[in-house]
Amino acid sequence: MVVGVGGVAVGAEPGARQPGRAGAGRPTRRELTRGLFASLAALALAPVVAASRPVLPADGPAGTSFDETYRGRRIRGALVPAVRAVDDGEWQVTVDGRPLHLMRRADGSWLSMVDHYSSYPTPLAATRAAVDEMGPGQRLREPAPGPAGGGHGGHLHMGGDHGVRA
Amino acid sequence: MAYVRKDVSRLTAAERARLVKAFLEVKRRGEYDEFVRVHIDYYTPDGEDGLRAAHMAPSFLPWHRRFLLDLERALRRVDESVTVPYWDWTRERSASGVPWTKDLLGGDGRARDQQVMTGPFAYAAGHWTIREGITDGEFLARDLGRARDPIDLPTRAELDRALDDPVYDVPPWDSTVTRGFRNRLEGWGRGSGKASWHNHNRVHRWVGGAMLSGASVNDPVFWFHHAFIDLQWERWRSRHHGRRYLPARPPGPGDAQHGRIVARGGKLPPWNVTPESLEDVSRIYRYA
Repeated sequence: MVVGVGGVAVGAEPGARQPGRAGAGRPTRRELTRGLFASLAALALAPVVAASRPVLPADGPAGTSFDETYRGRRIRGALVPAVRAVDDGEWQVTVDGRPLHLMRRADGSWLSMVDHYSSYPTPLAATRAAVDEMGPGQRLREPAPGPAGGGHGGHLHMGGDHGVRA
Repeated sequence: MAYVRKDVSRLTAAERARLVKAFLEVKRRGEYDEFVRVHIDYYTPDGEDGLRAAHMAPSFLPWHRRFLLDLERALRRVDESVTVPYWDWTRERSASGVPWTKDLLGGDGRARDQQVMTGPFAYAAGHWTIREGITDGEFLARDLGRARDPIDLPTRAELDRALDDPVYDVPPWDSTVTRGFRNRLEGWGRGSGKASWHNHNRVHRWVGGAMLSGASVNDPVFWFHHAFIDLQWERWRSRHHGRRYLPARPPGPGDAQHGRIVARGGKLPPWNVTPESLEDVSRIYRYA
């Protein structure tokens, strides 16, 4: 589920720094699915697994969070370590406090639910592009309520059941 | 007996009126919003896990072909004379011409909030409240031509470059391929910015507002656009003498695309139909 960045625990712990997404030597998703998975994942994801809970220094290393005012809107984003060891984290982004769902392309770029037919090099660029395309005075919808009533209630801002994985 | 899908610029006034009425009735029945939800649910990009059926995949074309048939069936349950027209954006390139007229889809959004103010799908007309949206406005939004930083619709020459490619699709069957008819038409380019937006994708961006978002189906032009995309598949098959959908067989267990895409005889969700069964639609409809 998308969690507002404001609700994320903040404060550094030793060894809890996330590796940069584009860091050399990190396994790509394709490599993972090719069967190199076990060994590479164990090596590269160890720091993430070591974090017992989301740890996001507000002034953390470049590439793991942002917080700025862009064209009058507060945009915030943070890479949150994943619960499952096979994933290396999830970007949680908000625009004026409301979650913006980001998705990943195979070339490593990002797209958002607002701007779904092109992609951007970083989560920050994708978030700014979403602001660019939102009508002035428009806000993102509040997250849909839980799955009460079944159906698609929880999917709208999620783009399906898929989490956002860095 | 196959029915005919027409060029939207050639519809008579009566045909336009019946088409609009059918759309509004499908919306009133609650069926339309389900189409919006299905399209959102099946948008799995190639950098995410799981099967990609609708986008960034070979089945982009058959998936949307079947999606269009479902909508068309819903329209025809209301009025069996109606078919989905196509918008030839290589010819109809003006933000004030067809299909943006008051008796069809209405015009551009206003500057303040991109709200469409004219035509039957304007919020004030009372028949087109957006329930499955990304932003909180309940109105249909457009930004034709992208006012802040204008772009043009794709050209005939760009569309021809897609049609000229004799191969349907190539490995790794995703948004990174630079050859193959499918992605040349779907339009995922390299890098960012204007030069990276092609054909199908570029049209979504040119219309803007709802059409640029994950809930693009909210704008009825989605169907006119995808009917034209679907027509290109027919043209491509004809130009290349019946060349087939690829891949013919699913990628093997050692392939990174194993389980991620649908091969010619594989099952397309949510319908469990094969791309193969959707290659020849001549018994269902044809384009005029």
